[in-house]
Amino acid sequence: MSATTPCVGIIANPVSARDIRRIVAHAGNLQITDRANIVLRLLAGLGAVGIERVLVMPENSGIRQHVVRGLERSSNLGEGRFPAVEYLDMAISSSAQDSIDAARRMHAAGVAAIIVLGGDGTHRAVVGACDGVPIAGVSTGTNNAFPKFQEPTTVGMAVGLAVTDPGLSAVALDDNKLLEVEVAGRREIALVDVAIVAERYVGARALWRAQNFKELFVTFAETEVIGMSVVAGLLDPVGRDAPEGRHVVFDDSPHPACRLQAPIAPGVIESIGIDSWGSLPPDTPHTIAQPQGSIAFDGERELSYSPDDRPTVTLRTNAFKTINVSACMNHGARSRLLTDHRGDRVPTSTTSQPRQEEPV
Amino acid sequence: MNDNVFPLGKEDLLKAYRTMKTIREFEERLHVDFGRGDIPGFVHLYAGEEAAATGIMIHLNDQDRIASTHRGHGHCIAKGVDIGAMMGEIYGKVTGACRGKGGSMHIADLSKGMMGANGILGAGSPLACGAALAAKTLGHGGIGMSFTGDGASNQGTFLESLNLAAIWNLPMVFVVENNGYAESTSVDYATAVDSYADRAAGFGVPGVIVDGTDFFAVYEAAGEVIRRAREGGGPSLLECKMVRFFGHFEGDAQTYRGEGENEHNRENRDCLKLFRARVTEAGVIDGGALDAIDSEVLAAIDKAVEQAVAAPLPEAADLTTDVYVRY
Repeated sequence: MSATTPCVGIIANPVSARDIRRIVAHAGNLQITDRANIVLRLLAGLGAVGIERVLVMPENSGIRQHVVRGLERSSNLGEGRFPAVEYLDMAISSSAQDSIDAARRMHAAGVAAIIVLGGDGTHRAVVGACDGVPIAGVSTGTNNAFPKFQEPTTVGMAVGLAVTDPGLSAVALDDNKLLEVEVAGRREIALVDVAIVAERYVGARALWRAQNFKELFVTFAETEVIGMSVVAGLLDPVGRDAPEGRHVVFDDSPHPACRLQAPIAPGVIESIGIDSWGSLPPDTPHTIAQPQGSIAFDGERELSYSPDDRPTVTLRTNAFKTINVSACMNHGARSRLLTDHRGDRVPTSTTSQPRQEEPV
Repeated sequence: MNDNVFPLGKEDLLKAYRTMKTIREFEERLHVDFGRGDIPGFVHLYAGEEAAATGIMIHLNDQDRIASTHRGHGHCIAKGVDIGAMMGEIYGKVTGACRGKGGSMHIADLSKGMMGANGILGAGSPLACGAALAAKTLGHGGIGMSFTGDGASNQGTFLESLNLAAIWNLPMVFVVENNGYAESTSVDYATAVDSYADRAAGFGVPGVIVDGTDFFAVYEAAGEVIRRAREGGGPSLLECKMVRFFGHFEGDAQTYRGEGENEHNRENRDCLKLFRARVTEAGVIDGGALDAIDSEVLAAIDKAVEQAVAAPLPEAADLTTDVYVRY
């Protein structure tokens, strides 16, 4: 591979999957050492397809130390082929700001793609700051409605293929929708859902008290996930590639129009009062009806608003790109990108042919 | 105005602010008085960390027992220990909570469920497990709670306590107050796995991390872990990420800190400022009501210091009293 091999970024959030849902639900706890292992598997995948340089977000929660130790041990053992790993030189705040700063710096450094380890919130932070750089997600959060569950080794290989093989340009990238929220002159985005709740404080951030839900906006709504988007999914599913979203109005009165059983957190199935739901068309600002409260972006309360703020929500299509791991690997297989022919002997397919009857 | 825009009513919000402000002014005053040489022994100040003690302790009652740390003034005040008795203790006077024999690092008041500050790092966790076992055995609905810093959470006592609390399913809450420094050593240097929630998970105990400078974040998470313990859900761990405004001890030159770190924290991560902004911007409490509390708290601290200064020291004959307890 030449010295101009594209560089790939990795942003691994050390504090995803640490919130109150460990207490009020049965959410898992992906340990720091497991996160470091995921990074090592990504690096192995990237290195296997020729990526020579990777930029990584620094953090002070221990992932880096374990990755560095892991690379040293693998090197001593003569294992694998890892790219050169460089850590960004940036201040660490141990907050979502780190993911934002890292995404900006990676864009400025010209990375061809960013691999994100985190949940919906981490992906949101990166998309908001990476200025169009394609991303690939590895789910290490709590709800993980946005990132699909995929083996990191394969994600690394697929991203490596996507950024190095010109033949993949037509199939490697998917378009995604997002939600834009305008509130008091501030613009925020969500990749999956925007939930309006009655509380005027962000508190422990996560959402689990259904009685305070007021409105919900989603970009896509699947039925087999957990979190807020599944509420819309169980009422009227809509795909990631459909040119519309969904809008749900909740009803916390004793006699709502209907009640829905929805898994809003791991192991937590709530009976939620529903007033109405419908399509959310793109590029049409929708004013939030709840006069004051807090806005949760992709499952986390982020900001509070007053009656003077009058926030709006707008669905945008073709808003950012993600790497289609399955398409990249299928292309790699069909194009023999992962097949190494040696010598004169050409391997042949052993696919069985229809057997001809022999004469008796 | 919706009733449920905040998790507490106006009176409880004012009470929480008063507690945080009392801790802050108590510590600011000790900072000055210690620097003047008025106070014997060492003091470790809790300023900057008030939202954690207050957001947690507001859920507790006198039957719930806590084991504190060397940095225990905030825990004492939030648990309801009288500030006059605390100041007397810190000044080493007979009016102190422990008759002037314990000093800053050994303030206790069992009538309030305050088992004591503790000069031995990590020593509080097994003591609180004992209180939790007693609560479970007696069935009175109380809980045990230990406070440890990020450094003391590396002690074997802490890890053994996690194990004990898990296997006995004790009504126990482990609070890790992570201010980033074990004395002068940063967490990322001295701790192999920096997430204390990970440690809890290693014992099958759920752990949660919150912003310890946000009263409402602490309040909400603490409410859930305490309810869980009270209702038989067993132990859990609450890690509060926070900042301390002063050094590890009074006199610490703090050369381990980054340039401008203290100023940044005072400006941007002051839990009292954040609380005031949140409740006044929402129109639930006006700034005048908080200003009035500020004045009342300052007057109360002045009075506590005056009384402590005027109180007598223990006599030589007091040396051998209060050594053993008959029970």
